[in-house]
Amino acid sequence: MEMFLSVLALSLVGVLVSAMLFAAALPRPHEIDTRRTSDDARVIQAGRFFVDDRRRDIPAAISPVPLEALLLQLERHVRLEQAAAESFHWSPTPEALHMRTVSPLVH
Amino acid sequence: MTQTPELLVGLDAIERTDVLALGSALTLPPGAVLFRLGEEATNLYLIERGLIALTMPMQIAGHQEDVLIDERVAGQTVGWSTVIPPHRFTLNATAPVKTELIVFPREKLLSHFTTRPRVGYVVSQNVAVIVGQRLQVFQAMWLRQMQRMVNLTNA
Repeated sequence: MEMFLSVLALSLVGVLVSAMLFAAALPRPHEIDTRRTSDDARVIQAGRFFVDDRRRDIPAAISPVPLEALLLQLERHVRLEQAAAESFHWSPTPEALHMRTVSPLVH
Repeated sequence: MTQTPELLVGLDAIERTDVLALGSALTLPPGAVLFRLGEEATNLYLIERGLIALTMPMQIAGHQEDVLIDERVAGQTVGWSTVIPPHRFTLNATAPVKTELIVFPREKLLSHFTTRPRVGYVVSQNVAVIVGQRLQVFQAMWLRQMQRMVNLTNA
């Protein structure tokens, strides 16, 4: 009987110790949130790693478009630029040189 | 072509007729190539009717595409590399629509100018005007592009 009680007591102590260790190993709820946020941030940072922030002003007109459409945009751009440059040629002033264009490749 | 062609401005009627007699007619169907970049320039062309598109190759999405650089219409001249060394075309010239031209071989022009220095002087001046205008227009276009790059860099 004594031996049985001793084994039972030791078993209970073992279960308690195991339970405490298990509980200690589990992350607490606020720790999970923090870790997820930091993981998300890492993913976002990894996704933006090759993004050159200096290029954020590049107009949407240069974003991937069908080749034919891009060539038409380029043709229109060249014609508009040439018209602006020709007006500078006939009346050369700094204002004429930097006259604004309506080309979608610039805005 | 009702007005005097830019190449013949400053010549009297007889001189113009003599120069035009040196040329031969050429008709290009839509899409035809007049000359290609890098080719030896042996002919000067006067556009009588139609349109000549001048293009340069540009790399777009890994492909080489001819991009419009300039357009010349009736009364204007193309191919002045023929009379200016090193006599190589620096652009591609195509006819987007049916185009009629007068073709002047370099040898015929130079030989005519040798015996008629005044005509040679006036035509050379006209070529200088054409080249000068192209230079100034493209200089301005280049500077406008540079200005945009500067604006982007400092944005």
